[in-house]
Formats: sequence, C-alpha cells, structure tokens
Amino acid sequence: MNLSARLFGGLSASQRLFLRRYGPIFAVYGFIIVLFIIGATQSERFLTVRNLTNVARQSAFLGIVALGQMLVILTAGIDLSIGSLVKLSILVSAIVMNGETNNQGAAIVATLGLGLLVGLIHGFLVNEVKIAPFIVTLASLGLLRGISLSISTSPVGSASRPFIMFYVQKIGPIPVIALIFALLLVLTALLLRYTAFGKYLYAIGGNIEVAHLSGVPVKLTRYGVYAICSISASITGLLWLSRMGVGDPAIGDGVELQAITAVIIGGTSLFGGRGTVIGTLGGVLLLGITANLLVMLGVNQFVQGLIQGIIIVAAVALYKQEGD
Amino acid sequence: MSEYILEMRNISKSFAGVQALKDVSIRCKPGQVYGLVGENGAGKSTLMKILAGAYKADAGEIIYKGQRREGASAGDVIDSGISIIYQELALVPRMSVAENIFLGREPQRAFGILDLKSLHERAAKLTARLGISMDTSLPVSELTVAQRQLVEIAKALSQNADLIVMDEPSAILAGSELDQLFRIISSLIAQGVTIIYISHRLDEVFRIADEVTVLKDGELVETRPIDELDRQTLVKLMVGRPLDEIFPQTDHEQGELVLVAENVSTDTILEGASLELYKGEILGIAGMVGSGRTELARALFGADPLTSGTVSLVGEEGALWTTPAKAIESGLVLVPEDRKSHGLFTSLSVRVNITLPILSRLTRFGIMQSQAERAIVEAARDRLSIVMASSDQEAQYLSGGNQQKVVLAKWLETDPAVVILDEPTRGVDVGAKFEIYRLMRQLNDRGIAIVMISSELPEVIGMSDRILVMNNGRIVGEVAREEATEAGIIELATMAGAGAN
Ligand SMILES: Nc1ncnc2c1ncn2[C@@H]1O[C@H](COP(=O)(O)OP(=O)(O)OP(=O)(O)O)[C@@H](O)[C@H]1O
Ligand SMILES: [Mg+2]
Repeated sequence: MNLSARLFGGLSASQRLFLRRYGPIFAVYGFIIVLFIIGATQSERFLTVRNLTNVARQSAFLGIVALGQMLVILTAGIDLSIGSLVKLSILVSAIVMNGETNNQGAAIVATLGLGLLVGLIHGFLVNEVKIAPFIVTLASLGLLRGISLSISTSPVGSASRPFIMFYVQKIGPIPVIALIFALLLVLTALLLRYTAFGKYLYAIGGNIEVAHLSGVPVKLTRYGVYAICSISASITGLLWLSRMGVGDPAIGDGVELQAITAVIIGGTSLFGGRGTVIGTLGGVLLLGITANLLVMLGVNQFVQGLIQGIIIVAAVALYKQEGD
Repeated sequence: MSEYILEMRNISKSFAGVQALKDVSIRCKPGQVYGLVGENGAGKSTLMKILAGAYKADAGEIIYKGQRREGASAGDVIDSGISIIYQELALVPRMSVAENIFLGREPQRAFGILDLKSLHERAAKLTARLGISMDTSLPVSELTVAQRQLVEIAKALSQNADLIVMDEPSAILAGSELDQLFRIISSLIAQGVTIIYISHRLDEVFRIADEVTVLKDGELVETRPIDELDRQTLVKLMVGRPLDEIFPQTDHEQGELVLVAENVSTDTILEGASLELYKGEILGIAGMVGSGRTELARALFGADPLTSGTVSLVGEEGALWTTPAKAIESGLVLVPEDRKSHGLFTSLSVRVNITLPILSRLTRFGIMQSQAERAIVEAARDRLSIVMASSDQEAQYLSGGNQQKVVLAKWLETDPAVVILDEPTRGVDVGAKFEIYRLMRQLNDRGIAIVMISSELPEVIGMSDRILVMNNGRIVGEVAREEATEAGIIELATMAGAGAN
C-alpha cells in the first residue's frame, strides 16, 4: 500500500486517481508557497515588484525551453542539445542583426530557421537512421557548441536599439517576455489537450509499438516534436540577445540540464507518456524562486547546487508514490 | 470482383535464421468466420502481422477487395477496412479508454483539433454496444485485464472494418464476457464482416468457425470446412500425430501438510483467505477473472504485503517471508500470469532467462560454467518442446506460447517445494498443454505441491485434486475432484453476494 492510497482512502476511485496523478504537483506548488513565505519574512527585497519582475523574466528564459523539452520527453525522447543551440542562436542573431533595426526581421527568420533545421535533422536521425535520441542530441550538443566557439570565443555582433529595449518592456506591471512565456504555456496546454498531435506524443511515449500499429504517424510526430524543441531554444537565444545586447558565446551552457530538471520536478516521466504543462510550470517556478531566494539570503553558490539536488530527489520520490 | 474479400497467396517470411512462414495461402469470403490454428510458433501471428502491414513478407502477394496490395503501412491497412486485435494487448496504459479506442483516428475538426465531445460520445456508444459499462475517461491502467480486452474489441469495432482478425481474443475472457464476445461475433457476421479467429481453445473454434486452416512449422497443413472435422482429427492435423487428450493422474495418497495460509488479506480485493496445501497434490483455484485469484497467489508469494493473516511452510517454524526473494529461498515459487511484464526479460536471451534464478549453482568462483548452462537449457527445451532458433534468441521473438514455456522452465529449475502456477497454459497449444500437465504430475511425484490458477474449467477439473472457488475476493467453497462439475463451479464463482464484504 502506498502513501497516497493510505492518505486518500475514503475517496471515490476517480477522485483517488486525480489525487494520485496531481497530488505531487500540488505539493510542488505548496512548496513554492512555502518559499514565498520564507522570502517574505526573511528578506526585505524578495517581495518587491522589482524582484518579482526579475523572477518572472528569468523563469521565462528557462520555461520556454522546458516546454520544448517536456514535449520531447513525453515521447520518451530527450534533447541534450538545447543549451548549445541557445548559444549558437544568440551568435547567429547578433551577427545577422549587427545593430541595425533593418536587419531585425532577417535575424529572427535566420535564427528560427536554424532551430527548425536542427530539429528536423534530429528528427531525421531518430526516425530514419534509428539512432537513440540521447545519442543524436548528445552529438549535436558537442557539434553546435563547437560551431559556436569556432565562430567566436568573445562577444560578437550586436542587437538593434529597439531589440534591446524589448527586454525591459512591460504591459502593466508584467514584463512582455513573461507574457510570451505565458502565451506559450497556454498554447502548449491546448496542444496537448485538444489536438491529435498532442495525443500522439503521449501515445508514442506510452507505447511506440502500439502507436505504430494503430496508424499513428509516428515519424511525422517525431519530426514535429524535435523541431518544436529546437525552435524553443532558438527563441530563447533571441531573448538572450535582447538581454545581453551582444552575441555572447558564454550564454547557454548547461541550459539543457536545467530544463530537464524543471521537467522532472514537474512530474514528467523520463520514460515518456506522462507529464503536464502545469507541472512543468511548477518545476520552472520552483527552480527560479529557489535560485532567487538563495541569492537574496546570501547563500553560497555551492549550497545552491546541493539544494537543487535535494529538490530533485524529493520531487521524484513524491511522483514515485503514484506507483505505476 | 471475386467472391473472396481477402486472398493471401504463397506468403513466405523468415526472421534471421527462422523460417516463420513458407508458401502459405489462405482466402476468405465475406461474412464467414475462419479459424486459424496451429502449435505455438506455427506462424499464425506472423501471418496476421503481415496482413496488418506490421511485417513485410519476403515473398507472396495479398489481394484485398480484388486489388493487389503493395507496401501498405499499418495506418493504410486500418483505413482499408482491416482491424486486428493483437495477441499481446495493444493499448497505451495511461491514456483513457476513449483515447485508446480512437488512437490514430480521432474525430477531428480543422487543423488537427480534436472533437473531444464526439470522441467520448462515440466511445460510450461503442462500450454500450459491447454491453460493458465503464467510464471512458478512465485510463486503461485502471481496468482489469478482461476489461482491457473488451476495450481492444471496441477499438476494432470502431474502425468499421470489413475484416477483423482476432489473435487469441478469448485467452483472458471467461463466462459472461466470453458469451459477449461470441454474441458480437455473430452480429458482425450478420453484417457481412469477415472474421479470422486464432485460438488454442479448440471448442471455441468448433463453436464459431465455418472453416479452419491449420498451420504447422510455418507451413499450411490444410484448410477444411468445420463440418468435415472432429476434434481428434483437428488435433492430429495440428500436432502431426494422434494425441490422447487425457489428463495425467497420480495414484498416491494425500501427502503431509506443506503450506498453511490463515485468514490472509492484502490491500487488494483479497479478504480472509485460508488454505492448506499437501505434498504432491495439485490445488486448483477457480473463479472469474478479477475474483482475486492472482491476488491470492501474490499474497502467498510475498509480492503484496499482508494486512492480516499468516502464510507459513510447515517445518520451517516461523519462516515467514515478506518478499519474493525470501519466498524463493524458502522453496516457494510463483509463475505469474502476465509473462510480458512479470515473467520474462524480453530483451535477454532464452538461455539467460532460464538460468537466471539458478546462477549461483552454475558458477564456480563467480565464473559461468557454460557447459553446464547449455546442458540445462537443452534439457528444458527438449522437455517442454520449446521452439526457438537457438538458445541465444531474444525471448521477445519467441511465439507467445513458447514464451510461456520459457517462464515455466525457468522456475522448474529452482527445485522448489511449492509451485504456484497462475494460468500456466494460457496461449499454449494443445500438444504443449499436455506436456505441461505431464510435467506437473512429474513434479507431484517428486513431492512438490502445486497451486494452479486457471480460467479453463476443463483443465481445473481435469488436473486438480481439490478445487477452491473464489468469488469477489474470498474463497467461497472447496470442491473435491470427484464432485467437480463445470456448472457447479460456475455457480459458486458467480453467486451474487457470495464473498461480499
Ligand atoms: N520479430 C521476430 N524475430 C524473430 N523471430 C520471430 C519474430 N516474430 C516471430 N518469430 C518467430 O516466428 C515463428 C512464428 O511465430 P508466431 O508468433 O507467428 O507463432 P504463433 O503461431 O502465433 O504462435 P503462438 O500460438 O504461440 O502465438 C516463431 O518461431 C517465432 O520465434
Ligand atoms: Mg501468436
């Protein structure tokens, strides 16, 4: 008998199922609230508009790639290359834009096109050459990073004036970048719930053989999902350009692991077929707020890593209670 | 257009070293039921997977609705009006009943947006037509195996197929569910649908088929109208020699007590089960699917923690076990019903599968004695007549029945005192069934006690020395072999209110 069954003994079958599935996600949000309370009571600067705007903006950077990553992981795949692609994207966009407002459109198209291309190549290698996603994207992690650093090891290119301003723009009290993330969140949730493509992601992750035999367009779906994930990295690269103003090749390292961490904390199974947008958002916020709070409280960098590790283990242990 | 809806001509297929099909031809007319029978590994499922577009034949052609079919994908085949219910359940556990039924063919509005309302309405209509009441938004993982099988059938029906292949659809159905299946089949035939029905339960084949095709070792033996066949002839065609379908008996007296379970309950449907088991006997456990038989087996084996009661082996005073590892050490083994997820390492070789539990016996200073290992695997293969290319073949590529034999072989090598067999002959062909029965009696002669769970009543009655009947989580009666009748057991097993908490 598992813990949640013991706690929720008196409920109907479907209520129990709901709690078993979503209970851990409530726990993640519960923990976020606890962090808020700690922040509000222990630090004067935490609960200020300025700081919260910051947290929202930073969460958007991680959140957009986490969404892409989640979709891939739903199919029992993984994308290790997104950090390197963020790096290459900021370089490409900065070089193409080269400080000119006129070049903005070209820079955006080029960067998103780069993401699409990388995603399709991943899809091709996974689908047609039948190489495991882990290996395909591990290779491109190295490759894209190599290409980036051979372009430049010091900042190159630059963003146009309006493009830099974009980073600080707000609608009411909310940064536009956070609104973009919110929009993508909603779109992803709708995609998963109301489209055939969304169902196919779960089906492929749940049992690829069954999906295939049921006539699910497995290959097409995988091309699509790797493309979406890579494009989410390109978008993040563009946002980084807006933030940095130049093509800084130091950007992007380790982003893939952060994204995977957020997705796992959000309750998505690495084996595929299980995961929700609301969970991933919880994972992103939990990571973002923890990092912010630890800085506010002046906690040492190394301790931050330690705490993140503990959060991962605790979260996954919670999801384990679901027992399937 | 010809009078045949489907013709498969001269189909051959081999998998690295195994000729699974050689020059096999079948043809089907609309509105008829075709029985497809043969021993384990005869190639039945392979033939149907070729029809489904899951495998590509090495040679031969398929003519469907008057047209030669060329390189069709699984999706094309479904669209062309062929549905397949696979031998191994083909559902995505975490997706809902409705989503599973319509997977790959969801009702959609424009731009791939789902029509969820129609999805659930249509699913509910289908399940109602099948006479099953279930919440179609529930994930499949919450259903019993029998319910899942019914969902598979609903999925096939939803495709409005003209030809439905059922690969052992009845293996996990019993009683009313089985009747339901046959009712559906007759209504389908009345609508002109063609059915290809694969089963090892020959009485079912006689009950519904118009014509029977027999395969053996990948070759076509014969196709005959059912009226020109009797059971004995059919068995002979399948096995290649006459086979007396007589249950082997033992003549010895009841032995000493070996295992006692008292008032055992777990956190499942199982409630207050008590039983005694004697040396050298077979204790049959009968009951409907979902009546708690598997849960009883798991409780005895220590796979589910007990919430009340005790299980102990006589002589090992206080030798209680709470884990399967301890149970095995004490001399009690369980051969589980769901071989895919509990009994086999599907991606490991047959050899490893068989010898894994006895590795310590096969190693010297931690080093494998491959000579001894090979000998054991060879012996098991001969004793159970396991069909495989070599003992290095991965277990997943064996036919369903042969996988079952491998699971049995694995546990029989551990030399236990008590063996619990959960559906030991599910999906096993007639010849091998009697091999398994004989093997069980050999174990009895060595003094080993057997608990056998089975949905096949003739088998329970034929093999058991005593029969316990379960209903709704409780043991509701014990029937001695001499008094056992199918009707009597069904009555106990389905009596309303019996066993209710
Ligand atoms: N993918 C595969 N790779 C290698 N060998 C295979 C594969 N699929 C089937 N075989 C082999 O082909 C033969 C026929 O198998 P098949 O599953 O068609 O038998 P079957 O008649 O359905 O038996 P059963 O009654 O046990 O289900 C077997 O010897 C099996 O080992
Ligand atoms: Mg088969």
